[in-house]
Amino acid sequence: MPAIFSEGFLLGLSTGFYCLSACLPLLAPYLLAEGKAVWKFNFYIFMQFLGGRFAAYMLFALLASLAGKAGQYSLPAWLLPASMAVCGLIMVALAAGRVSGGPGHCLLNKDMNPFFKRLPLALGFATGISICPPFAAGFIRLLEMADIAKGFVYFGGFFSATSLFISPVLLGTPWLGGRVNEIGRLTLLLTGLWYAVLGLTGLLK
Amino acid sequence: MGPNPSARKKAAAAGVFAALVFIPALLFSTMIAGREISRLYGLAWAFFAAGTAYAISYTGRVSFYRRIFFSVSALAFLLHFKLSLFGKAFDPSCFKDTPFCHIAMAPYFLNYLYQQYLALMSGGWKLWGPITLGAAWLFVTIGLGRGWCSWACFYGGIDDGLSALPGRPLLKTGRWALKARDLPAALLIFAMLASLATMLPVYCLWLCPFKLTGSFLDQQGYLRGLQYALMFFALAALVLAPLLTKKRIFCSFLCPFAAWQAFWGRLNPFRISIEEGKCTGCRRCVAVCPTLAISCAPGGKAEILPYCNLCGQCLGACPARLHTYTAFGLKLPAVEGALGRLVSAEHIFVFSALLLGSAFSSLWAPAALRDLVKIFGTH
Repeated sequence: MPAIFSEGFLLGLSTGFYCLSACLPLLAPYLLAEGKAVWKFNFYIFMQFLGGRFAAYMLFALLASLAGKAGQYSLPAWLLPASMAVCGLIMVALAAGRVSGGPGHCLLNKDMNPFFKRLPLALGFATGISICPPFAAGFIRLLEMADIAKGFVYFGGFFSATSLFISPVLLGTPWLGGRVNEIGRLTLLLTGLWYAVLGLTGLLK
Repeated sequence: MGPNPSARKKAAAAGVFAALVFIPALLFSTMIAGREISRLYGLAWAFFAAGTAYAISYTGRVSFYRRIFFSVSALAFLLHFKLSLFGKAFDPSCFKDTPFCHIAMAPYFLNYLYQQYLALMSGGWKLWGPITLGAAWLFVTIGLGRGWCSWACFYGGIDDGLSALPGRPLLKTGRWALKARDLPAALLIFAMLASLATMLPVYCLWLCPFKLTGSFLDQQGYLRGLQYALMFFALAALVLAPLLTKKRIFCSFLCPFAAWQAFWGRLNPFRISIEEGKCTGCRRCVAVCPTLAISCAPGGKAEILPYCNLCGQCLGACPARLHTYTAFGLKLPAVEGALGRLVSAEHIFVFSALLLGSAFSSLWAPAALRDLVKIFGTH
């Protein structure tokens, strides 16, 4: 098992940059929009995001191992665009839910609905199921192994290594303030629209 | 009766100021343009910059003459670049291929860093871009800062010039405009992240109105249609919206480089400041600011936002003349003598801005003049 964990970990270490570039557009706008100048609070958001990713990886480890056992070597094509569309629409809903008609400087500054406080989990889950090249490499390896326990360990290693690449995103958050939050909410809106459009067009293909 | 002595002194000081701009502008424009075309075109461009310097110094109307210089530069860019694309008779001089676009630099910055990292890791560190391009940008930012968007940008001159054409705005920008003023910053962050994720220049593909071509766009039907729609939307913001609102709508809401330069512009010491405690809250400066960079602070006083790009339009609008150029927050101490006014913060900034603006535009403006001579010479 340690060898399997190391294998996943090394795959994550060698391809972690791709994970960073895939995760940043989802995580960074949320952190900018909802983060505070309190490190602990932002760390909590980050841990939720990682939790979502971890759940997605474990789900995929399970699915890949089961698929490998059953001799099925493909995933439904609609899965990724559907997850992108859902994620994008939730982000748009969060941003739109904070539109203010009041005297504030920014358009988006209303209090957050508690439902959206769990959004980092969904965002993490969406990045966890996005099929990027390193993820696909890991997925194929799991299809070959066709072993659920080994699959969990392998993706556990992959998750641990790729999380190292994402963690520096927290470094800038102690400087977050009201103005940055306002800019972050507009960024969240734009990013949500972007993912919603990409996801929906992917589904319509 | 001859001109009065004070007017003569003013003219002499303006002449000295124009000469101070002319000499380095001539050096840069003949050096840059002179590589491929006659140095006389560079000389003409340096004269134009010096003439602008004289007019600004003599009349004190910074924004009026700046706008002429700025718009001519932008028109020269359009003329030369488009002619070089459409006709072989007009070989693109100075830029052999597509010109470097500073607007693309900001939203593509993370990719740029990644490429430099790859170059460094692969042993190509001698070609490391920041040494050249990054140093050039840093130099411009220290010298001109936020002023880039009103003195040197070869796109900004289009909507700046157009925003000056109507006598009155047909559409008034309401409170929504100030509320959405952070949109360029959000657009910049979004484009940086999305470009990194897709390894594509997302801003250029989706929003840039200057490409005016579909050749780069996505092949997929829905996305291509959407990209076209956004491109024409941005084009309308660049051309139509300034004519309707008298505001630089594209620069104020859709240009990520404006946000980039607003952030890094704090490296530059020059600002436009309002004399504290004297503002009556008449809001005339708010009304004339073409980039919506003046808002109302609590108490009704005018407050200059970080998006101010030092165009100087508010200087003449304030009835009490409370708006001034400052360096490190100071107007600089008054110096006695005819030439004393040349060491004011305003003159030093205008010198810096015109010099960098004329040097940068030497890449295309003298060549555009050559194109015009060719066109009229053949007829």
